[in-house]
Amino acid sequence: MKIIAGVDIGNSTTEVALGAFIQGKIYFLSSALTRTTGIKGTVDNVAGIKIALEKAAVKAGRPLQDISLVRLNEAAPVIGDLAMETVTETIITESTMIGHNPSTPGGLGLGVGILRSIEDIDFLEAGESYILTVPKSVDFETAARRIESAFSRNIDIRGLVVQNNDAVLIANRISKKIPIVDEVRDLHLLPLGVKAAVEVAEPGRVIEVLSDPYGIAGVFNLSPQETKLVIPIARALIGNRSAVILRTPKGDVTERKIPAGKIQLQGRKNIISIDINEGAEKIMAALKEVEPLLDANGEPGTNVGGMTQRIRQVMAGLTGQKPEEIHIKDLLAVDVSIPQKVKGGIAGEFFMESGVALAAMVQTSRVPMDAVARKLAEETGLEVEIAGVEANMAILGALTTPGTDKPLAIVDLGSGSTDAAIITADNQITSVHCAGAGDMVNMLINCELGLNDMSLAEEIKIHPLAKVENLFQLRMQDGSIQFFDKPLDPKVFGKLVLLKDGEMVPLEINHSLEKVCHVRRKAKRKVFLENTIRSLQKISPTGNIRHIEYVVMVGGSALDLEVAGIIADGLNEFGIVVGKGNIRGQEGPRNAVATGLVLSYSG
Amino acid sequence: MEISREMIEAVVRQVIEQVYSKEKGKLSDSMYQVPNEPSVGNGQLRLLEIGKALKGNKVDEVVIAVSPEFGLNKAQTITGIPHGVVLKELIAGIEEEGLKARVIRVKRVADLAFLAWEGAKLSGSGISIGILSRGTTIIHQKDLQPLNNLELFPQAPLLDKETYRAIGRNAAKYAKGEPTDPVPVRNDQMARPKYQALAAVMHNKETQMVDKNADTVELQVKWA
Repeated sequence: MKIIAGVDIGNSTTEVALGAFIQGKIYFLSSALTRTTGIKGTVDNVAGIKIALEKAAVKAGRPLQDISLVRLNEAAPVIGDLAMETVTETIITESTMIGHNPSTPGGLGLGVGILRSIEDIDFLEAGESYILTVPKSVDFETAARRIESAFSRNIDIRGLVVQNNDAVLIANRISKKIPIVDEVRDLHLLPLGVKAAVEVAEPGRVIEVLSDPYGIAGVFNLSPQETKLVIPIARALIGNRSAVILRTPKGDVTERKIPAGKIQLQGRKNIISIDINEGAEKIMAALKEVEPLLDANGEPGTNVGGMTQRIRQVMAGLTGQKPEEIHIKDLLAVDVSIPQKVKGGIAGEFFMESGVALAAMVQTSRVPMDAVARKLAEETGLEVEIAGVEANMAILGALTTPGTDKPLAIVDLGSGSTDAAIITADNQITSVHCAGAGDMVNMLINCELGLNDMSLAEEIKIHPLAKVENLFQLRMQDGSIQFFDKPLDPKVFGKLVLLKDGEMVPLEINHSLEKVCHVRRKAKRKVFLENTIRSLQKISPTGNIRHIEYVVMVGGSALDLEVAGIIADGLNEFGIVVGKGNIRGQEGPRNAVATGLVLSYSG
Repeated sequence: MEISREMIEAVVRQVIEQVYSKEKGKLSDSMYQVPNEPSVGNGQLRLLEIGKALKGNKVDEVVIAVSPEFGLNKAQTITGIPHGVVLKELIAGIEEEGLKARVIRVKRVADLAFLAWEGAKLSGSGISIGILSRGTTIIHQKDLQPLNNLELFPQAPLLDKETYRAIGRNAAKYAKGEPTDPVPVRNDQMARPKYQALAAVMHNKETQMVDKNADTVELQVKWA
């Protein structure tokens, strides 16, 4: 009897399968999994491999030295990298407007008048309409009292702009219902004496007049030419519950496009140079036109340029080749909206700016796996060999899923790249690697929710969400409710939580449950579904995705419940049967390559 | 506000005098009335007892449970913020979020956690703010263990007007079931050594006022 170990080094995990070879037949003993140490394909991996091997040996109840042969995969020489460009920027000049959304504005309706400070309230005259500013130094009770006394003198006050969080407090203490916007941090920057409009909508509704160009034109008596100029202001205020607009001589809100740089796509027949500003759709269309991509270059001095340079250098360092010899073989561009602080805003406003996220992938002839094999043999004293191409091994492993047969396509949803391979009835195997996978989903979640924390984004990606409604009650992401007998930890009260192995991890973010779920699903669809379709198109013998009948999903990201559902939904329209792999009927979608490595041993 | 040595000494002297005078039996129930001398700054507080505090049934109320001595005697916190100002800010924070405050006095205990818990059990929303006369504050919920809490502000010397407003706001948000941002509180390692003696004296003074058999009473709040 011989014990064979199959070792698969992936971008983020190293997987091991242990099998006994007895009289030409394989009996599987155990499997194990650990984090990959270092970049895939480097000698740094050895530490991780040793841990995984020991784990598997312990599970099988045998000493490590019983292993007669370790088979490493010929790791696909593929690495990926990510970059992000913000392509729009909103700038407010001359304090034209306040577009922030205080959680508790006061009063209701639309008020228009001349902007004056409450300090000057005693000098105001009847017959004119006013909007008053209330600085921090004036306490809400004093403000309300002074406004009331002005009302009794027939001063027509139509709205308030308040520095403190006092809107509801003042509204509750005055006799007329006027719109009040509060928490305006830089109140002193407002130019007094100009015409201003304040609008507050009912709770749960959004403003209607100031978010409409014609509404603004009506309020300020604008000419058709001037109305054209206020379009960005109106657009910036859509969806807010409150807003203030001032009419200043030169005031303006502009949405500026940031020069994000170009990327040059070189195909076999043609070269297309495309501006990142054009957005993800145009970039992907250009990519399709040049197919197959031979190389891509970002404009030096931009984020994209930096990324293409960095990825070349990493791969060059890995293989000992020159950076010029490394070529980018695939790209994935995805549109994102990123919450950004507005330049010139006086209440700390955030707008959703648009940006483009890019994943790139390089491929070389081979990575120095023999160095890894030598080091592993030296350190463990075991016999080590490099066996089999990754895609072939993955198919061999995937075929152990009950209910599968040739011809079969697999999609390997990893962290660095999405790979696909197909085996025909006559054992022809074709494979392809696409840029963008789990890590890119993390980046999208991180940007769109404004987290600035990649590991948090990863957690949000994989764990179910819930909202703690009270200490005994949890609202799940699908809307169902779970009750508890004992009160929950007060730390999670009223918060969004991640349900992680029976534990509740509170999220310190101010988004609704629906928003987080939406962002997460959108990111997964944009990366995994797009890449699954792209890669299947590439490997389909006819070039038509509809001619593939059976697809098995493998890889760590296939474990994600949502991803499997999203892909099954998306492929359904092509009439493809798709499901999660269940390697050897027990491993789930993991361990396909390691299993294939053991199976391909023939004594 | 500046804290001088003289001021601390003056407070300590006053406290000791009062403790002694109580022992001599000079103080009676009239202590539950408003001090006549004007307090510092604005907001001279009048807390009128209007009967036994009952359990509320409105979900939009947050109970503020004050300690036996709150609003009486000097009626200011350890750093000299008048109790009237503190209460006004807490109530304003609750009101700004669209909820209502109900103020009660717990007389039978001077322990912050227990008096706040009692308040939480009487609160229609199940949320309460507990406050001691030296200014230490807690946000409590009825289903928690008494010694647990939603948010605790243990170091009274570091709490100011803005903090009390934010505490009121957070309590209201808990009542609405909304996520809260933690209330920012300053940090000062010297707070403990600087104020420990004074805090001990003030606590002693507070416990002198405890009446183990007294009912918890509803208060009407007025600012003169």
